[in-house]
Amino acid sequence: MTLEIQNLHVRIEEREILHGVNLKVDKDQTHALMGPNGSGKSTLANTIMGNPNYEVTEGKILFNGEDLTEADPDERARAGLFLAFQYPATIPGVSVANFLRLAVNARREEPIKVKEFGKVLRENMDLLRIDKAFSSRYLNEGFSGGEKKRAEILQLAMLKPEVAVLDETDSGLDVDALRIVSDGVNALRGPTMGVLIITHYTRILNYVSPDFVHIMLDGRIVREGTAELADELEEKGYDFIRAEVEASNAG
Amino acid sequence: MPASAATTWLDERREQAVAAYEREEVPTWRRSGFWTTSLRKLDLDALEPRRYEPLDQLPPVVADALGEDDLGALVVQRGASTVHAYVDPDLARQGVIVTSLELAVEEYPELVREWYMRRLSHEEGKFPAATAAFWTGGVFIHVPRGLKLDKPIQSVYLIDEPGTAQYAHTLAVVGETSECSIREYCLGAPIEGQALHAGAFELYAQAGANVQLAHFHDWGPGQIHDISTKRVEIGRDAHVGWVPVHLGGRLIKQTLDIITAEQGSDMRHTGLYFTERDEHLDLFTSDKHERGHTTGDTVWKGALTGNSRASYEGLIHIVKDAQETHTYLQTHQMLLSQDAKGDAIPSLIVQTDNVSASHGGTVGELDEEQIFYMTSRGLPRSEAVRILVEGYFEEVVQRLNDEGLQGLVRRRIAEKLLAAQDQVNRFIGERVGARRMPEAAEKEGAAA
Ligand SMILES: Nc1ncnc2c1ncn2[C@@H]1O[C@H](COP(=O)(O)OP(=O)(O)OP(=O)(O)O)[C@@H](O)[C@H]1O
Ligand SMILES: [Mg+2]
Repeated sequence: MTLEIQNLHVRIEEREILHGVNLKVDKDQTHALMGPNGSGKSTLANTIMGNPNYEVTEGKILFNGEDLTEADPDERARAGLFLAFQYPATIPGVSVANFLRLAVNARREEPIKVKEFGKVLRENMDLLRIDKAFSSRYLNEGFSGGEKKRAEILQLAMLKPEVAVLDETDSGLDVDALRIVSDGVNALRGPTMGVLIITHYTRILNYVSPDFVHIMLDGRIVREGTAELADELEEKGYDFIRAEVEASNAG
Repeated sequence: MPASAATTWLDERREQAVAAYEREEVPTWRRSGFWTTSLRKLDLDALEPRRYEPLDQLPPVVADALGEDDLGALVVQRGASTVHAYVDPDLARQGVIVTSLELAVEEYPELVREWYMRRLSHEEGKFPAATAAFWTGGVFIHVPRGLKLDKPIQSVYLIDEPGTAQYAHTLAVVGETSECSIREYCLGAPIEGQALHAGAFELYAQAGANVQLAHFHDWGPGQIHDISTKRVEIGRDAHVGWVPVHLGGRLIKQTLDIITAEQGSDMRHTGLYFTERDEHLDLFTSDKHERGHTTGDTVWKGALTGNSRASYEGLIHIVKDAQETHTYLQTHQMLLSQDAKGDAIPSLIVQTDNVSASHGGTVGELDEEQIFYMTSRGLPRSEAVRILVEGYFEEVVQRLNDEGLQGLVRRRIAEKLLAAQDQVNRFIGERVGARRMPEAAEKEGAAA
C-alpha cells in the first residue's frame, strides 16, 4: 500500500505553487515534511486529497498503483487516504458523533450498528482524552484551536485510513495535548497506516519519530534524509538550506 | 346573553370589513430592487368557500402530518368547515377552551368579544378585510390563568380541492402565568388547480405567560396561494417563542408581527423556509417594542431551489420611550439553484436611545471548503450537500423544541433536498467546473 506522487505541478488561481514534487509514502512508514511558510506544504496536502481549488497541471498521484489524480475527494477517502486539516472547516448543525457515523458508514456496505459505533467512538475518545460532551457539539463550531486538532485526530482514529497526511496538527497544541495527540498517532501508525507529518517543529518529531524527512522550499522538495535532517534543520535554519541548494544549483 | 345579541357585534364588524373589502383594490406588493408580488395569475372570481361534513377520520394529509403526536386538543378546518374538534377531557375540566371560532362566538360571546381583533384590523388591505368579512369555522383557544399544559394545542387548516377559497381566523389567548404550546398547521393536498387561503392569526400572551408557538405551512405542490397576517402580543414579563416554518405553496404573502407590549416581555422568533419549483414566497416580519425593558431575538433561515423566488424582510421597530430594549435580528438565505432568486433584508427603526439593536443578513451559496471537508471524509458530494443544508436549518429545527414537529420538518426538508438533488449538484458542480475549465482547455490545446 503506497501513496506515490510523481512530478506534481499544481496551480492555484493562475499561479504555479508546486513545481514538480516527488514523494512516496508506504503504509508502514512515517514521513515528515518541513518547510517555511508559503513553501507549498498545504498545497501538496490539499492536492493529495483532491481539493478542487488546486489544479494539477502535470504529474500524477498514485495510490496502490491506481491513478487518483482526477478522482473526487470522496473516492480518495474511500480508497484509504486521509487529511487532517491545518484549518478544518466548521460544519454548523452537524454533531461530531453524527458526522463520524456518516463518514464511517460512507466506507461500509452495511451501516454500522448504533451500539458498536458508540463503543468504538468512546474508545477513541478515551484514547485521545476527549470529554464525552464533545461528541454532541457541532463539528468545529466554537472549537478552540487545540480542540479542532483533536477532533481531526479523532476522525483519523475512527476512519482508519492507510495513509494519513497531518497538516500542522501539532501547531496550537499545548504540551499536554501534543503528548496526547502524539500518543494517539503512535497507537494508530505502524504496519497498516503510513503517515506524512507536515510540521514546522521538531517537537512532534521527538514523540513520533519519522523514518524520512523531506524539506520543501518554494514548491520543490530540496533535501531528503532521515530523522537527523530535522535536527540539522532546526540547528541551521532554512536560509542555510537555501544557500546550500543555490550553491549546488550554481555548481 | 341570547345568541342573537352575541352575533350582533360580530355582524357589525363583518359589515365594516365588507365595506373595506369592496373599497380596496387587489394589491401588488413591491419592494426595493427586483421584488414584486403580484396576484395577476390568481383567478379570484373562480374561487369559493367549500363546505364539508364532519369527519370521523382525519384526512390522509392531516393524519400524515400529525403522526402519533400526543395532542391536548385538535381543531381541523377543511375548506370553510370545521370537520373535527377534540379536547382532552382533562384540559376541558381545567377550563381550557379549544373550539371553532364560530361556536365560540355563540358559547363564549363576552370572552371572544374582549379579544377578537384587538391587534388586527380590517383596514389593513384587501385580504385582511376579506378575512375579517368572510371567515368561517376558525379556531378559538383560551387557556385560563395559572395552568401548565404539557400536550400541545393543535389547529389545522386543510385545502384539498381546487377552486377553494378558505377564509381563516385563529384567536388564541393564554392567561396570566400559564404555560403551553400551540401549533397551527396549514396543509394542502396535491391539487390540480388554484386555491386561496386568506388567514388571520392572533395570539395574546398575558402577563407572565410562557407560550411556545409553531406555524407549519406545507401547502403542497398545488396552486395554493396564502395571504395572511399573523400577530402576537406579549404581555408583562411574558415570553413567546415563535417558530414559523414554510415548506411549500405556490404563492405566499405573509406579514408576521410580534409585539413586546409591556415591560419584561421577551420574544424569540425563529423561522425557516425552503422554496422549490416556481414557488413564490414573500415574508415580512416585524419585531416591535412598544415598551422599554423588553427583549427580542429573531433568526430566519431560508433555502431556495428550482426557479423559486423568496424575499424576506425583517424589521426591528423600537418606539419612542421604549428604553432599555435589547434585540437583534439575523437573516440568512442560501441559493441552491442557478435559477432561484431571493433577497433577505434586515431593517431597523429606532425612535429612542439607550437600547441595543443589531441586525445582519447574508445571502449566499454553499461553501466549497465545507463541501471539500466533508467529501474528504468519504461522503459523496450529494450527501455532503444534503447534510450541510440540513445542518444549516438545524439551529431553527432545534428551537421547535417539539419532537413530533421536528421529525416532520426534518423529513420534509430531506424530501425536498432529494427532489432537488440533481439540480443542486449541477449548480454546485458547475461552479467547480468553471474553475477547472482552463485546465481542460489547456490539455486539449497541448494534445492538438
Ligand atoms: N486558496 C488559495 N488561494 C490563493 N493562494 C493560495 C491558496 N492556497 C495557497 N495559496 C498560496 O500558495 C502558496 C503556498 O501556500 P501553502 O498554504 O501551500 O503553504 P504552506 O507551506 O502550507 O505554508 P504554512 O507553513 O504557512 O502553512 C502561498 O503563497 C499561498 O499564498
Ligand atoms: Mg500550511
